[in-house]
Amino acid sequence: MTVLTLTVNGEPVTVDVAPRTSLADVLREHLRLTGTHLGCEHGVCGACTVLIDDAPVRACITLAVTCDGQSVRTIEGFSDDPVMAELRTAFSREHALQCGFCTPGMLIAGRDIALRMPCAAPETVRHELSGNLCRCTGYAGIVRAVTTVAAGEAAATARAEMPTIDAPVILSSDAAPLATPAPRSAPQSSGTPASASPGVAPAGVTRFEEQFVIARPPAAVWAALTDFPMVAACVPGAELIEHGDSHVRGRLHVAVGPVKAAFAGSAKVERDDARRIGRVQGAGSDAASGSRSRADATFRVEEAPGGSRVVLVVDYALQGTLAQVSRSGVAQEIGRRLVATFAANLDAALAGEAAPPPQAAALDAKALLWASLKAWLRRLLKRPPP
Amino acid sequence: MKAAAFDYVRVRDLDEAQAALARSEGAKLLAGGQSLGPMLNLRLARPALLVDISRLDALKTITEMPDAWRIGAGVTHARLEDLGERLTGARLVGTVARGIAYRSVRTRGTIGGSIAHADPAADWPLALVALGATVEIRTAGGGTRAQAAETFVRGAFTTDLAADEIVTAVVVPKRSAAARTGYFKFCRKAGEYPLVSAAVVLDPDRDAARIVMGALPTGPRDFPGLAAAVLRDGAAAASEGAIERAVDDALPGLDPVERRMRASAVRRAVLEACA
Repeated sequence: MTVLTLTVNGEPVTVDVAPRTSLADVLREHLRLTGTHLGCEHGVCGACTVLIDDAPVRACITLAVTCDGQSVRTIEGFSDDPVMAELRTAFSREHALQCGFCTPGMLIAGRDIALRMPCAAPETVRHELSGNLCRCTGYAGIVRAVTTVAAGEAAATARAEMPTIDAPVILSSDAAPLATPAPRSAPQSSGTPASASPGVAPAGVTRFEEQFVIARPPAAVWAALTDFPMVAACVPGAELIEHGDSHVRGRLHVAVGPVKAAFAGSAKVERDDARRIGRVQGAGSDAASGSRSRADATFRVEEAPGGSRVVLVVDYALQGTLAQVSRSGVAQEIGRRLVATFAANLDAALAGEAAPPPQAAALDAKALLWASLKAWLRRLLKRPPP
Repeated sequence: MKAAAFDYVRVRDLDEAQAALARSEGAKLLAGGQSLGPMLNLRLARPALLVDISRLDALKTITEMPDAWRIGAGVTHARLEDLGERLTGARLVGTVARGIAYRSVRTRGTIGGSIAHADPAADWPLALVALGATVEIRTAGGGTRAQAAETFVRGAFTTDLAADEIVTAVVVPKRSAAARTGYFKFCRKAGEYPLVSAAVVLDPDRDAARIVMGALPTGPRDFPGLAAAVLRDGAAAASEGAIERAVDDALPGLDPVERRMRASAVRRAVLEACA
């Protein structure tokens, strides 16, 4: 627990909280200032907007410990504020609230707009308010109310009394020149060639294709790919829990930036040793983030100049929290990195080099999420031993 | 949801911060916390220790140099937004800052935190590459190294930063008075992360041009050939066909919708710069 001192609505307050406690929870649970509402709790809805040192912030994603010594103003702290008084009147007049859940955040955000943007046009107000969601969809009235107040006298008076914009620019003509940029490393290449034919995945499912070449004959590569413990040892972050001829259970640890997940799951494995084609279907979940993934992966080993080509096609679907964060093909990219590392490890293992560490660091420094990847990889792992 | 438990330390200087990072394997720097905060609450991120550098004044200075702006890593998007036009020779910085998320996020989110986090769809990784910026990094021994933005960001959530290194500033070179810029991003909702984005900087007096595509999992991608053609021939060099060919060369095999959206983002940014 950490003791911190805040000024809340002008009153000094001391609270003892765990570091993980959000400012919103301190306000609501410790100080009983329940006018600060919690909607999404991850910075999307704006219901928890408060002022810290006069700047609007989201109390749900602001850790209370980071506010030690600072001044917090909640919706309860505006009774003597002329701009807020005008806003309240305008909200009533314009029917700018229905259920009232978003209203504290709307008022504080609206007041900030009125103070920063004299005579803001309705379109501007609308844009500026886009971080505050009203589930009653009463935006028209809210925008009218804020627009009126931004053009009103109370806001003009308040603006005149505000300190000029803090612009702590240090003008220094003799600042030391910056050291010559020395790129330390080239941009990362994808490591493996992109698939030539993207193919089409079923709706709701993302398809990922990757291939790599291993400098060993197809029979040897096929044998390795159907050796679950070996495959598991080559997949960064993979952990083989149990396996039989046609099923596998395991866990995959993935770390991407600050995000870490451990997908536990199982899969069934089909294989055609004659054609060197396999299929893995499975599902897994990461309990900590409440995310689930399903995947259906096919792989084959074929002859290639200099060895064997391994072709992998994965259809996967990701649901839950991780899916919300997955954007811009991040999952596929992490999959590519994972496969590239796997290929390198497998290559080394087949070359008789020291076996890779039994559980390579989860996607080393760079890895991030993708549960889905893990899921496929797991599926990979699932290949039954010969 | 509420964040999982972690330890917390607010450091007084960068030495302390680096010592804390070196001490604890699960340590994570906390600047504005506007990306990390949601990940903590969703329990996607579960660091053992948060090292709070948000109060370090040393990271909050903005310095105008003869040929560049040095922007401390702890400078918030809101401050850059408010400086706006005063960022002579680098006004795109203010424009980009104004378009990031929402004001109540911009008041805490920092430029250094954003580029170190390296969200593939974030604004700064894209804009700083287009601007030819340099990232200033404090190394483990307390030294400083500088790295070009285009090699600093290496992919989604992936940078060249070592575990005990800290971004201390970004240095944005000033463009000539003749320079023109364009910036376009498509967001399904105002303030959300974009699906596609592009930035253009044309500086004929310095014979410098960059056209960069953002919101890619592999990090920002620039189009030097197209940029040189646009610098030479203006918007005429940026026909839909020319841009689509450039996109195809850089990103073969895109599905038709994504290909079209990416090409449109580049074209709109180019047209803005050429307007």
